[in-house]
Amino acid sequence: MSHPLDNLGDDIRDHIERETQENIERGMSPAEARRAALRKFGNVALVMEESRAIWISVWLEQLLQDIRYGVRGLRRNPGFTAVVVLTLALAIGMNTAVFSLVNAILVRPLPYPGPDRLVWLGNYNPFFKAEMVGSPDYVDWKEQAASFAGMVAFGTGGYTLATAEGAGQHVLADVTADFWDISGARPALGRFFGPEDREGIVLSDELFEREFRRDPNVVGRSVIVDSRAVTVLGVLPKGFRFLLPADFGLPTGNTREIEGYIPNPVAWQHPPRGRNISVQLVVAKLKPGVSIERARLELAGIQARIAAAQNPNARYDAQSLRVTPLQEKLAAGARPALLVLLAAVSFVLLIACANIANLLLARGAARQKEIAIRTAIGAGRVRVIRQFLGENLALAFVGGALGLLLARLAMPVIVRLAPPSLPGLGETTMDSRVLLFAVAATLVTGFAFGITPAIFLRRSRPYEVLKQGGRTSSAGSAGLPLRRLLVSAELALALVLLTGAGRMSKSFWRMNTRPAGFDPERILALQVPFSGPRYRAVAEQRRFAEQMLERARQLPGVEAASVLAQGQLRGSGTAPHDPNLTSLSSSQVMHLPHVTFSTVSSGFDRVMGLRVVRGRWLAESESGPAIVINESMSHEVFGEGDAIGRQLGLADNVNDPATLAAIVGVVSDLKYSRLDAPAEPEVYIPYQISTSLLGMTVMVRSATSATAMAPAIRNAIASVDRTQPVAEVKTLEQALADSIAPRRFNLYLLGTFATSALLLALMGIYGVIAYAVAQRTHEIGVRMALGAQRGQVVRLVVLEGMRVAAVGITVGLAAALALTRLMASLLYDVKPTDPSTYAAVAAALAATALAACCRPALQAAWVDPARALRQE
Amino acid sequence: MSTKDDRMELLQGTLDLLILRTLLPGPAHGHAIVKAIERNSEQLLLVEQGSLYPALHRLIKRGWIGVTEGTSENNRRAKYYRLTAAGRKQLTVETTRWDKLTRAIARILRPASEESRP
Repeated sequence: MSHPLDNLGDDIRDHIERETQENIERGMSPAEARRAALRKFGNVALVMEESRAIWISVWLEQLLQDIRYGVRGLRRNPGFTAVVVLTLALAIGMNTAVFSLVNAILVRPLPYPGPDRLVWLGNYNPFFKAEMVGSPDYVDWKEQAASFAGMVAFGTGGYTLATAEGAGQHVLADVTADFWDISGARPALGRFFGPEDREGIVLSDELFEREFRRDPNVVGRSVIVDSRAVTVLGVLPKGFRFLLPADFGLPTGNTREIEGYIPNPVAWQHPPRGRNISVQLVVAKLKPGVSIERARLELAGIQARIAAAQNPNARYDAQSLRVTPLQEKLAAGARPALLVLLAAVSFVLLIACANIANLLLARGAARQKEIAIRTAIGAGRVRVIRQFLGENLALAFVGGALGLLLARLAMPVIVRLAPPSLPGLGETTMDSRVLLFAVAATLVTGFAFGITPAIFLRRSRPYEVLKQGGRTSSAGSAGLPLRRLLVSAELALALVLLTGAGRMSKSFWRMNTRPAGFDPERILALQVPFSGPRYRAVAEQRRFAEQMLERARQLPGVEAASVLAQGQLRGSGTAPHDPNLTSLSSSQVMHLPHVTFSTVSSGFDRVMGLRVVRGRWLAESESGPAIVINESMSHEVFGEGDAIGRQLGLADNVNDPATLAAIVGVVSDLKYSRLDAPAEPEVYIPYQISTSLLGMTVMVRSATSATAMAPAIRNAIASVDRTQPVAEVKTLEQALADSIAPRRFNLYLLGTFATSALLLALMGIYGVIAYAVAQRTHEIGVRMALGAQRGQVVRLVVLEGMRVAAVGITVGLAAALALTRLMASLLYDVKPTDPSTYAAVAAALAATALAACCRPALQAAWVDPARALRQE
Repeated sequence: MSTKDDRMELLQGTLDLLILRTLLPGPAHGHAIVKAIERNSEQLLLVEQGSLYPALHRLIKRGWIGVTEGTSENNRRAKYYRLTAAGRKQLTVETTRWDKLTRAIARILRPASEESRP
């Protein structure tokens, strides 16, 4: 019978039509009649709402009743309940934890006003492989573009901040005055700088705390920033953060926070166009209603005019102009990884669902008699299904609540493991969105694993079940095909996760292999960013390095010491690979596609354990300009030819006079700054001929523990020049580990998910096979009575299990291959289709599945035919 | 025909009683029920027609009325509401209670001498 609520809308429409008709018959005009009828009826939506509300309460009451009934049933089966609840708690907990991350990093709006209108502007520069904006371009954009409510140019840098108490290295941002409006910040003390202010500093709460001990009189005080006296204008409130992109490198690695803000001179300098222009990072806020595309078109127009004014023949490439939502830009590289993790963890949930559905099917089969009786005495089938659902929802909610608790406990651990560069990570919390997610996941799983067995059991005919009467019903085995299917699906999903985790472990292992002689745990790296006007001259930098090395070498426990200052060059040309080249001019060098120039001292080879392949390493003092290159460089430039004795032109700038330096040696490639990128062609230049030591790191190899050396070396550096602070001290091992922190994090999580998936899938296959054996005890007894050997019985059972496993593994392999594209960005030096990983994972899964079948198989083989037959 | 000012809003809960009473002679569809209430009260009772529907559903839920699909006089599909046995019994109960209530209220509102004329 149809429900009284069906067609309620039609009923009401019908009613109003009748009333309208009557009104017309009474002499009203049709429009008037309809208006009168509607007025008389009242609020249609409200009427429908109230009518429905009357029935909802009934439905809820019955559902609560079903859940109560379900809870009673579950209490009678504590073992079953515990397994299901724990499985669910694990799966929902993992999902909630990962969703909290996704929520914090990708979903939750930025903590600035009008977050969806904030954009990152940049011209992609293929030369530097980065998005940047020339200072003159910024000035033009700011003046001409009408799409933006504000546009801030900024840069970040390490500055020496000296107060009466002492000097220290700090990360400051130079920002234009628009920054305060866009960030929505309000000063906690003092004021911010406006467009007219050319000097001054605004302190972050952390800097205010650390350097000024929250002195309320700090405003108006004078501090020295890079040898210039500036006034403290104001202090930012606690909790204000300037979020930077995840892949953004700050000049000192100790902190991820901007500690102070100074005015950006681009606001008043009107920098000239030309060579060596300065660049800015630009964040803007769109005017309300302006689309990103419109803003981009406007900027492209301005940019094209600029290009045409400079060089009428040049064609402006609008493709390079990028306008990216700030949130997307901030998440940067984290996005694909997070989405892969989210997909992976939802696989775990699917497997958990399949597993629980499986358990419920087994239990349902045992309860068929109970259901048959209830159906026979008149329980509606819908009600029977709902009773199952009630029971399962009760399970799901207990599991979900426990899962939420697990996620809550796991969050701090996950946040600590995560690379700190992820913006918004620190604010990972269980907000309402996360709770909603957990509740939705719980409901969906409850229905997903609840509905399958319910529908299946509904189909069984009460008459058949009751007729059999006995405890063992063969109807139970009718559920087996479905259960085998579920287990195959579980195995397939687990395999997809395992291949993913396998390939990631393999790339991780590849990244971490290191040549003999390279012991990063014994190498200490100390950053000494020269500051102050004194060290603008390279001669002073060299003198500093020389004295510092002299003292460091004399320290007990120091095996070798060196300086290291690196510069990257990404030219637009191609590598010559020419064995006959005798010399490469500086302009040719600059067009090489990518070269790392490393300014070093003669101890560098011993610090790093570099292996000389040809020629020799650099001596303490060389008679003429001499350099060493690595094998990649040798191959890039000279192909198969011998590099020794050939010359490379070295210059900072194409137009500067070049030093022609002779190659005296070739060393093997060594990755010592990033683990997840191949070693680049590298040129080692002695600091005595290098034109700059800026961004210098002191590298010390110790005989024992590297960290224990740190204070002594700090002292040695301070004894050369007390005004030069050491910005960062790390063992090279730590620095290398940090360079792959995001990958390690992904690997940990994916590994955990894959392991859970494997365990769940094994539980699944074990459960199904054990159940199948129990169902077939009688049959096995008959076989054995007729002369079947134990080996044959074992084979029978194992074959059944392996058939299920084979289907799962085949489907899983196909699915994993189909999903390779997803993984590509997360791998290093391992092809997404790496056959050995697939083979290894498939074999491992097959082996564990085999192991899971063994116990039930042996049980079957030891069935006593006499007893098995008597059971019927 | 009464003027607008004479009209009264229905007392809480009385609509259920009136619906049950209206259905006593035989099944009717929604619009007919309101019309009957209005007509029989000589237009004195002001029923917001929409409020009929939640009331109908309340009565169906309690099992006092049933609903059947039928076709109306001009061959339109319509839902017909009819009194169930339980509803018939409920009507007696409610009517008795209503009589008691009005008598009690009347006793309070009027002096004892006038009580003879309800």
